[in-house]
Amino acid sequence: MTDWNLVIKIAGGGFGITILVLTILSLIVWIMGLVIQKIHSKDKETPVKDK
Amino acid sequence: MFGLYETAFGALTWGNILMLIIGGLLIYSALVKKIEPLLLVPIGFGVILVNLPLSGLMASIVEGKVVDSYVIGGEPAGLISRVFHYGLVWEIIPCFIFLGLGAMTDFGPLIANPRTLILGAGAQFGVFFAFFGALLVGFSINEAAAIGIIGGADGPTTIYLTNVLAPHFIGATSVAAYTYMALVPIIQPPIIKLLTTKKERAIYMKPQLRPVSKTEKILFPLVTAVIIILLAPKSAPLIGMFMFGNLLAVSGVTDRLAETASNAFMNILTILLGLSIGAFMSAENFLKLETLGVFVLGVLAFASSTAFGVVLAKLMNLVIKEKINPMIGAAGVSAVPMSARVVHRMGQQANPRNFLLMHAMGPNVAGVIGTATVAGIFLGMLA
Repeated sequence: MTDWNLVIKIAGGGFGITILVLTILSLIVWIMGLVIQKIHSKDKETPVKDK
Repeated sequence: MFGLYETAFGALTWGNILMLIIGGLLIYSALVKKIEPLLLVPIGFGVILVNLPLSGLMASIVEGKVVDSYVIGGEPAGLISRVFHYGLVWEIIPCFIFLGLGAMTDFGPLIANPRTLILGAGAQFGVFFAFFGALLVGFSINEAAAIGIIGGADGPTTIYLTNVLAPHFIGATSVAAYTYMALVPIIQPPIIKLLTTKKERAIYMKPQLRPVSKTEKILFPLVTAVIIILLAPKSAPLIGMFMFGNLLAVSGVTDRLAETASNAFMNILTILLGLSIGAFMSAENFLKLETLGVFVLGVLAFASSTAFGVVLAKLMNLVIKEKINPMIGAAGVSAVPMSARVVHRMGQQANPRNFLLMHAMGPNVAGVIGTATVAGIFLGMLA
């Protein structure tokens, strides 16, 4: 006999966790991109000091 | 003298003959139709070898007796049964194939447009849809999960999960997964057309994504491995190897390792994987009604993953400023790069100015991450 409560937990929970995990990852990658782009643009803006 | 010597003719069954034809058809599809030749040739040849009786290639020892086929729980005693046992049952080959795939993957489009990760996640819907379908027709929960994962269109992940949850289905699920991956250009376009209007298919996306720096490319595999493995620990063998392979490729200091991982190493693993999967498909293992069920549910899984990817892209368009072409959602299944190419071609048919390949590669590689994550979640809940 199939335990349908367990099935719903696996399917609903499983799909929900998948969306959650990849949404969290996408936010982190987006923030990482913003920070790195900012650092790189600052590096470009900083004038090279004459010795 | 002939009393001591035995040919295999007497042991040949009708099932063996049918499987020899199936093996021949797989090789024909690879040679003539060019369907996944790197896999279907070894699989097809494995099918032929194992269905020639008395060869002992898949022999195993069960309770001290040698039997001619591989028995789960027995000790391998044949050339290919040893490869199957230590390579697949011990879960080594599919994970190391992920290492090679990682070394071959460019995450640039995904890093440039991280929201495509959500499309990759959404396209996993088909996995759960087919999981339900399989349960409704009488498969067990573990078998249903192994069948559902075909919807991710990711061969190594399908093999990895099936091997743990429903090892008796490994031949059927792996052949189904690779067959449907090869049939992407036939399966996906009608589903995409059904769910989109011509106007939606013609939505223009700027061809250039923002440039991605080397620092981002190096940080991506490290961050992704840490985040995903913390959230879905059982996905570690797949995600860990995938990201490690990618780090080798982007680090700039391990080019030799990346070159080996993506070429020679990958080719060796592909030969061993294909041959041992084919050799598992003996008549007694493969010619069952359940195999047909796996193939029917597999295509259902794949089609619903495609459909939900498109629907999710359309839903995203309701909330984002710069509209995306909803077809790129279909590339969220992980058949890399076939589904991205299909989307690109359909995009150009609808609007010749469109160049969607790079945009579709984002959800495409996200799909690989998504399917490996789903496998980890299934394993966390069921293994």
